[in-house]
Amino acid sequence: MVSQKITVTNEQGMHMRPASVFSQAMTPFSCDVKINFNGNTYDAKSVMMLMSACIKCGAEIEVVCDGADEQDALKKAIELIESGLGD
Amino acid sequence: MKITDLLKKEGIALNVDAADQNAAIDKLIALHEAVGNLSNVSAFKEAILEREKKGSTAIGMGIAVPHGKSSAVSKAGVTAITIPAGIDYKSLDGNPSNLFFMIAAPDTAADTHLEVLSKLMTLLMDQNFAKKLVEAKTADEFLSIIDSKEAEKDKEEAAKKAAAAPASAPKTAKKLVGVTACPTGIAHTFMAAEALELKAKELGINIKVEKDGSGGAKDVLTAADIEAADAVIVACDKNIDMSRFNGKPVIVTSTKEAIHSPEGLIEKATSGNVAVYHHTGTVTKSADTGVNESVGRKAYKHLMNGVSHMLPFVIGGGILIAIAFLLDDYSIDPSNFGSNTPVAAWFKTIGGAAFGFMLPILAGFIAQSIADRPGLAVGFVGGYLASTGATFAAPGGDVPSAFLGALVAGFVGGYIVVGLKKLFEFLPQSLEGIKPVLIYPLLGSLLIAIVMCLINPIVGALNVWISGVLTGMSSGSIIALGALLGAMMATDMGGPLNKAAYVFATAALANQNETGFMIMAAVMVGGMVPPIAIALATIIFKKKFTAAERKSGPVNFIMGLSFITEGAIPYAAADPLHVIPSLLVGSGVAGALSMAFGCTLRAPHGGIFVFPVVGNMVMYLVALLAGSAVGCLLLGILKKDAPEA
Repeated sequence: MVSQKITVTNEQGMHMRPASVFSQAMTPFSCDVKINFNGNTYDAKSVMMLMSACIKCGAEIEVVCDGADEQDALKKAIELIESGLGD
Repeated sequence: MKITDLLKKEGIALNVDAADQNAAIDKLIALHEAVGNLSNVSAFKEAILEREKKGSTAIGMGIAVPHGKSSAVSKAGVTAITIPAGIDYKSLDGNPSNLFFMIAAPDTAADTHLEVLSKLMTLLMDQNFAKKLVEAKTADEFLSIIDSKEAEKDKEEAAKKAAAAPASAPKTAKKLVGVTACPTGIAHTFMAAEALELKAKELGINIKVEKDGSGGAKDVLTAADIEAADAVIVACDKNIDMSRFNGKPVIVTSTKEAIHSPEGLIEKATSGNVAVYHHTGTVTKSADTGVNESVGRKAYKHLMNGVSHMLPFVIGGGILIAIAFLLDDYSIDPSNFGSNTPVAAWFKTIGGAAFGFMLPILAGFIAQSIADRPGLAVGFVGGYLASTGATFAAPGGDVPSAFLGALVAGFVGGYIVVGLKKLFEFLPQSLEGIKPVLIYPLLGSLLIAIVMCLINPIVGALNVWISGVLTGMSSGSIIALGALLGAMMATDMGGPLNKAAYVFATAALANQNETGFMIMAAVMVGGMVPPIAIALATIIFKKKFTAAERKSGPVNFIMGLSFITEGAIPYAAADPLHVIPSLLVGSGVAGALSMAFGCTLRAPHGGIFVFPVVGNMVMYLVALLAGSAVGCLLLGILKKDAPEA
C-alpha cells in the first residue's frame, strides 16, 4: 500500500467535473484507490463518492492506493491533482 | 444547510414529458425562473450548456445533475424533474437518465455549489432512495422523501462523530447553550466562549454561546435556542438576565472555570444531572441552583458591577478637571484655582458634572446587581444622597458621606428591594404588575433616603470631632499631624475623613501663617499619592489587577498629579480591604515627610500645576515620590492576584 498527502488547488474544489475526470482516470487501474479526507474514506473510482466528500479548495487529502499497480495509480493521481484536474 | 432549503415545491415537476436533453434542460431552467432564482434566463442557459459541452453531468444510475455557476443567478437554488421513461443524457455508464437535479449557484466565492453537490450525492448513493424519488406522485411526496432521508443521514453523521469522540461523550448529539460575561467584557468573555465552543466541537456536541461583551451581546440566544437546548451553561462574573432560563437545567459558574475546564462543564451539562433553574427575580437565588457561590464572591460581583459602570465617569471627569488646572492661571486667585479663567472654569464644570454621576452610578449598579432592575432606582437615589449629604434637618445636603456612603447605599438599597420582593410575595398574581411600577420604587426610595439621612449626620458628627482633634494636635507634633492628615486624605477619597482633613487645611490656610501653609501642603500631597501609587502598581504588579484596571492605570498618573484623589476610587471600591490600607500608609508617609521638610503651599488645589509656588519644592517632590513608592509597594504585597488574571 502506498499513500501521499496533497492539497487540492482547484478554485472550485472537487466539484463534478474534476471528480469525473479523476474517477475516470482511476478506474482503469486494478488496485483500490481511496481518498482519506476529514476522517472519512472515499472510493476514488466513484464520482458520487468523490463529490459527496465535499473537498474544497485548499483542503489536504490523502490518496491511498493498494494493489498490483499501486505505484502507477498513485503517480497518476498526484499528477492529476497537481495539474488542477483539467480546471 | 439542507437541500429542502434550496429545493422548493414550486421547483419540482414530476412525470415530465421531455423528448431529449435539451427539453429537459429547458424545463429545469423554467422551474428556476418560476421560483425566482434567476436574473437572466438566457445567460444562465448558456452557462448550463457550456458546462454540458465540457462533459456530461449525468453521473450514472439514471441521475443527472446539470449545474451552472453564473452571475445570471440571483439566488442559489435547486430544481428537480423526473422523466420515468428515461432519456439519453450521454451518461457515463451509457444508461438513460430519469432523475434530474439542476443546481444554480451565484457567481460568488462561496462553496454553496460544492456543498449542495456533496449533500445530494451523499443521499443519491442509496439507489433505493433514487428509485423512490422517481416513483413519487406529488411534489410534496418528493420533498418529504428527501427530508426524511436527509434527517436520517444527519443523524448517522452525528452518531459517527459522537462515536469518534471519547467514550465519555454522549451517543447522540446533545444541544447546549451558554452565556459568557465578565465585568469588563473584553477578554475573558470571549476566551470562555471560545474554550466552550472548541471543546464542544471536539466532543461532537452542539453549542451556541452568547457573549455578553462590552460592545453589547454577540450571538444572542433566541427563545428557540434555549427551548431546544438540553442544558444551559452560564459562565459569568457579572449578573446577566437569568429569567429566560426558567425551567431549564442550568449550571452557574465563572469564566475562569469555563476557560480552564470546559470539558468538565460540558460533561456535567450533558450528564442529565443538572438542577433545573427556577427564576425568582432575585439574583441571589440563582446561585442556589448551580455552584454555591461564597458570600465574598457574590459581594465582589455586585461591587464590580458598580465599579465597571462608574469607571468611565471617573476617567472622563478626571481628565477634564485636569485640563482645567492645566489651562488656568493660579496667580489670579490661588483659592479659586481651576476656575479662574472662563475656559478653565468651563472644563472644571463639565468635569464636575461627570464626577457628579460617579457615586449614584456606583450605588445604583451595585443595587441593580443585587436586586435586578428594581434595585437600580433605589441605589441611584441612595448614591445621590450620599454625595449631597442629605440629613433630616437639611435634606438639601449637609455632610456628604461620599464614597463609603455610596457603597453602603448600593448594598443596603439592593437588599431593601430584595426584602420588599419577599414582603410582597403574598400579593395575588393579578397585582404583580404594580410592584415594579409603584411598590419597589416608592418604598425603596423612601427607605434608602431614611437610611442615608441617618448615616450622613453620624458622618457630620465625626467631622466636628475630628476637626477638634486636629486643632488640638497642631500645637503638638507637627510631623504626626502631617502623617495623620495624609492618611485621612487617602482613607475615603472625598468622604468624611478626606473632607475633614481638607476643610481643616483650608481653614489653616486662611490663617495665612507658616503652619497653615505646611498643613495645606501635607494635605495636598496626601491626596496626590493614592492615584499615583495605583498607577505605578498597575504597571509594576500587573498580576494584581484586571485587564480593565491595567488599561485605565496610566490615567491615574494624570489624576494624581492634578490632585484628583477620586481616580483611586474604582480600585479602592473593587478591593477596599487591601487597597485602602496601602494608600493610607503611602499618603501618611508623604504627609509626614512634607511636614518634616517644612514644605508650604498657599493654594488649596491644583496638584503639579501649583508646584512652582510650593515652598521647598524639591523636597515636596521627594515626599510625593516616597509616599507613592510606599503605597505602590504595599499594594503589591497586600493585594491578591486579580480573580481574572
